[in-house]
Amino acid sequence: MSQPINNEATNTPRPSRPGGGLRSSVAGYARTTKGVLFSSMFRYIVRRLIWGVLMLLVVSALTFVIFYLLPAGDPAAIRAGRYATPARIEQIRHQLGLDRPVYYQYWVYMKALVVHFDFGTSFKTNLPVRGEIFRRLPVTFSVAIGAVIIWVAIGIPVGIISAIKSRSWLDRVTMGGSLVAISAPVYWLGLIALFLFSKDVGVIKVFGGSGSYVPFFQDPAAWFSSLILPWFVLAAAFTAFYARMVRGNLIETMNEDFIRTARAKGLSERRVVFRHGLRAALTPVVTMAGLDIGTLLGGAVLTETVFNIPGIGRLAYDSIIGSDLPMIQGTVLLGAFFIISANLIVDVLYAFLDPRVRY
Amino acid sequence: MTPEPPDSDNAAAKSRETSKSSSALLEIRDLRVHFRTRDGVVHAVEGAQLSVERGQTLGVVGESGSGKSVTAMTVIGLTRFPNATISGEIEFDGIDLINLPDNQMRRVRGRRIAMIFQDPLSSLHPLYKVGWQIVEAIQTHEEVSTSEARARTIEALREVGIPSPEKRIDSYPHELSGGMRQRVMIAMALVLKPDVLIADEPTTALDVTVQAQILDLIRRLKDEYGTAVVMITHDLGVIAELADEVAVMYAGRVMEKAPREVLFTSPELPYTWGLMRSIPRLDAPRPDRLDSISGLPPSLINLPPGCPFHPRCPYVMDVCLKKEPELKQSEPGHLVSCHLDVKERQQIGRDLQTLYR
Amino acid sequence: MNGCSNQSRRRFGRLRAGSLGVVTVLLLGALAFTVTGCGTKAKNTITVLSAGDVDYLDPGLAFYQFSYEVIYPVDRPLISYKAGSTDYQPDMAASLPTVSDGGKTYTVHLRTGVKFAPPVNREVTSADVKYAIERGFAQSVPNSYSGVYFGTLVGVPKTSPATPKGLDIPGIETPDKSTIVFKLTKPSGVFVGALSLPLTAPVPEEYASKFDNKKQSDYGFHQIATGPYMIKANKAGTITGVGYVAKQKITLVRNPNWSSKTDFRPAKADEVIFSEGFQDSTVLAKKILAGTGDVNGDTPIPATEMQSIKANASQKKQLFFTPVSGTRFIPLNMSKPPFNNIDVRKAVAYVLDRDAMRKTRGGVLSGKIATHFIDPGFGTHGFDQSGGFGFNPFPSPGFKGDVAKAKAEMKKAGFPSGMYTGPTLTMVADNVPPGSDTAKVVINSLGKIGFKVNLIAQAHATMYTDFCNVPKVEPNICPNVGWQADFAEPQTLLDATFDGTAIIPRNNSNWPQLNDPAINAAMVKAEVIVDPLKRYQAWGQIDKMITETAAAVPWLWEDWPTLFSSRVDPALQLWNGGSPDVAFMSVK
Repeated sequence: MSQPINNEATNTPRPSRPGGGLRSSVAGYARTTKGVLFSSMFRYIVRRLIWGVLMLLVVSALTFVIFYLLPAGDPAAIRAGRYATPARIEQIRHQLGLDRPVYYQYWVYMKALVVHFDFGTSFKTNLPVRGEIFRRLPVTFSVAIGAVIIWVAIGIPVGIISAIKSRSWLDRVTMGGSLVAISAPVYWLGLIALFLFSKDVGVIKVFGGSGSYVPFFQDPAAWFSSLILPWFVLAAAFTAFYARMVRGNLIETMNEDFIRTARAKGLSERRVVFRHGLRAALTPVVTMAGLDIGTLLGGAVLTETVFNIPGIGRLAYDSIIGSDLPMIQGTVLLGAFFIISANLIVDVLYAFLDPRVRY
Repeated sequence: MTPEPPDSDNAAAKSRETSKSSSALLEIRDLRVHFRTRDGVVHAVEGAQLSVERGQTLGVVGESGSGKSVTAMTVIGLTRFPNATISGEIEFDGIDLINLPDNQMRRVRGRRIAMIFQDPLSSLHPLYKVGWQIVEAIQTHEEVSTSEARARTIEALREVGIPSPEKRIDSYPHELSGGMRQRVMIAMALVLKPDVLIADEPTTALDVTVQAQILDLIRRLKDEYGTAVVMITHDLGVIAELADEVAVMYAGRVMEKAPREVLFTSPELPYTWGLMRSIPRLDAPRPDRLDSISGLPPSLINLPPGCPFHPRCPYVMDVCLKKEPELKQSEPGHLVSCHLDVKERQQIGRDLQTLYR
Repeated sequence: MNGCSNQSRRRFGRLRAGSLGVVTVLLLGALAFTVTGCGTKAKNTITVLSAGDVDYLDPGLAFYQFSYEVIYPVDRPLISYKAGSTDYQPDMAASLPTVSDGGKTYTVHLRTGVKFAPPVNREVTSADVKYAIERGFAQSVPNSYSGVYFGTLVGVPKTSPATPKGLDIPGIETPDKSTIVFKLTKPSGVFVGALSLPLTAPVPEEYASKFDNKKQSDYGFHQIATGPYMIKANKAGTITGVGYVAKQKITLVRNPNWSSKTDFRPAKADEVIFSEGFQDSTVLAKKILAGTGDVNGDTPIPATEMQSIKANASQKKQLFFTPVSGTRFIPLNMSKPPFNNIDVRKAVAYVLDRDAMRKTRGGVLSGKIATHFIDPGFGTHGFDQSGGFGFNPFPSPGFKGDVAKAKAEMKKAGFPSGMYTGPTLTMVADNVPPGSDTAKVVINSLGKIGFKVNLIAQAHATMYTDFCNVPKVEPNICPNVGWQADFAEPQTLLDATFDGTAIIPRNNSNWPQLNDPAINAAMVKAEVIVDPLKRYQAWGQIDKMITETAAAVPWLWEDWPTLFSSRVDPALQLWNGGSPDVAFMSVK
């Protein structure tokens, strides 16, 4: 789950962004021809991919270790039920493979994963984890994509207007409002949205309510209606956060020397803002958005819970509550995969957005 | 505006020279620029008087905060902030720049009055190729095709001494050296053949050897195009190289104004003396210490009463604390704003110059 | 039905990013959608709303109130319950069993004409019931209670075979297609009741064996119905992804092979949807009030909602309370000091503020304060016999605790000041409300007689499996446990929880570790009493004995609130703690 709680980014220097530790120096004076550039980029990507795989290995191993180190409820006992004798529990433990040493369990898990792309079977429902995850992936994707569109479509223009009209009443109102949106708990916001606008329990019955999700290909209109409220609720904090970030970045950029140059050239103010100011101010926003999308694809637990949307976030939450290790492992790996991929994509994208970045 | 054929450049330059004698191309009278801030009103420029003629170079010298950059920015209308109050007169080729509407001001900016800045790396957009940035400048003011603008850009880059400009045009600023970047800035400023080039500390951020090259370039281009140059600097060495006329600014005022030779041989203002002593001279024995002006530049919010320089002036008199001196002619073409007796200050100035020479 | 017209279309104008077109127009274009109103709901559908999912859909594995709610309309055990009652009702059986041989032989005749749902489509025989019970002894079908309730059958395997293949329990005889005879090694007072467990619902071996003979049976995902409804399935009988989407939805449709002539259920609805994932019980309650859901499944109605419903003249008729057939109690670990001393335990029984404890679970609406273990839901099946509401050995004014009496008990226990002076107690409690709140009240009450408590907060499941269920590491107090009867026999409430011979090193549910020879002996005697009235009398007595040891302090006989929408006729499974009985509900 990721909700932006860090408002420092409004003051962050432009090219910096979190999580970019592997990138080489920004102001590298690489005088390379295109060919060399792309082959070095290719090597960089390969290197990052290898790192990514290693990272997933570490994450999965950590999940195993944490699961066994912390008291998390004995899955065999939970499954055995309240009348089970210790012998029955041991049988089930054996059946689930939980009687083997942790490293051996990990080995078996990884072998199945690598050789058969098999994520194992849920301790609780007996269902294959892979099937459950891939069934829920489009749901989480639906939730994420709409929220991203909203927060980009609203957050960025609001940030721009606020920056241009900096210190005006409009700026003060939107930035004040954004603080409220950032600090409003998602769950609370979700309930408010439901009680106001949902078809089932709302005062104004407009949009689909809790549990109304249907897949896009089944009924696009119902899909859309069911997701409107979750999108806005999930996007609220992000919108506010992005508005503040864009505003901060743009105000800072507009004080840069190259903006003075652009004005001195006699460009219209609109062109100065949009071609020169925004071009520089939005680059870090793009990378930030990439990372946030990556995180969101791992599931938005609170939004999915309050709106009863069967996404990855709920699956992860339920499996943690239920001590369902294979399901926990699957959702954690998926989340890690998205975050690692988003990092890589963002870093590669950055090289295209900012010519100063070379790998 | 139709593009001029390249070989008509000299002719154009000459035609400008013929009209030069009539009056100043750019004339600033009693310019006042105030900014309202949270801490109070900043009196950035307080009655500046400057003028420059075609083909001439005006050097504006002063410490940081003396109002020289604000004056330059005001000329091209870049200080029109909501919190700014601008009064006085700026007349450029018969146009009243102070009251010129924004959209017309934009046409003057870049096309007729161009400006280059101190740090060429930060002054160029880091994410656009240098050629794109120059092409943009051309196409902002002239209806020309991109390919033509590109050709002119290559030409301009060649003109400012950038080797293989057809390649460099597609470089990003960070791929160029500091000197090259400033050449790009100059090419961008001069590609539209402006009447006035305002150079705000153009060499400060550069290596000493590169500084000389850039100054040579500016001088050569000025001579070639007949462009009027306003050279803003805190470095009297640059002034000595380039300026025809020198204005010394302090606390938003022009305190001394003279032809270069006059200023360097007989400066009459205690502040100018201080400035001169703060340059280490290469052709004189190195003094024990750099004898710079004591004290800090004044706060532009709470200016001292009387002469703004009096708290730092070694020759301060009672009158200096009460009355602000006027900028008055002491010799023909030499204006000074100081309460010291004319004879006395001329004598001290000459003595000091001999001493340090 | 719910006020949706086909014409209710709503159009969203194209939102525009104003003059700042550069960034946003393309993205917002996606918002220019047309949203249609709700779909048509022609069928006679009942929607049950729940927070979580069933544990299993396999009748041989399901062991959870909410699962029973789904399985009873689908899979018919030998015996069920009369509507709105805890009295037995022959279900797959044509009549209640004939008991002979002093309670050791039970003969059951099956109804004829009951057919399995597609794709099996054949008539149910006694062999299907025999197989259903036998498979519950195999490792691949790890039934939780087969040993407890069917372990007395003659010839049950001593160690579980991996799969039901070749597993034969000679104590289950099938003399003909419609007769099944159970032979026990000793008489059992609960065997008839056990025949109501879903393990006895017939399973067609020829179809199920391919699932059962795996390491872990997945028959649940392919299960074959015998009841009025079946879980929606494809032609091959697979229900996963069709009628069952884990943690989201279970869809029951009519079983085409069911005949009302063979059943006592009216089964009026055409379709029953269990809509899951409603974690927020307030939203769930409001949906039912709005008619977009018909009844709550696994989640109680929150106290605040109940109060506003009760204040509303028309809504309050939709809200029902049922005893859950179980008791929440505070076990005091007798295996070590200080609770190995009966006087200390009695002091705790006196001092606990049960009224404040009940408030942590919703106050008066959540149920009655318990004074012993057999709860009012048993009625004549043991509650009355143990003294009913009149038996309260540790009374206090308003159930708020009696500090003076508690101190007197402490003095008897050798604490002259009436205050405890020994080492700090340990307690493992839930890490979330309401359990964590209850724990706080308990700690507060204990403080009044000098106890200091070291609290360890854990997830509910962890609290059980890693702490309270493991005698070796069990803390002094586990404030968040409770026990619910499996069916309306007091033995199912008291045996596993207080039988001293049933203490096991793991998965122990005798939390106080009470091992009282007199009580143990009384249980052995009561378990084999076949005559119901004598049996209830015996267990009522045992309940009193247990309560007086203060091994555990009962504090709540919980009521389960069920809220029905105004569009359905309510019906409850009283035997199943007040779950809605969808086979008896109908749409008005």
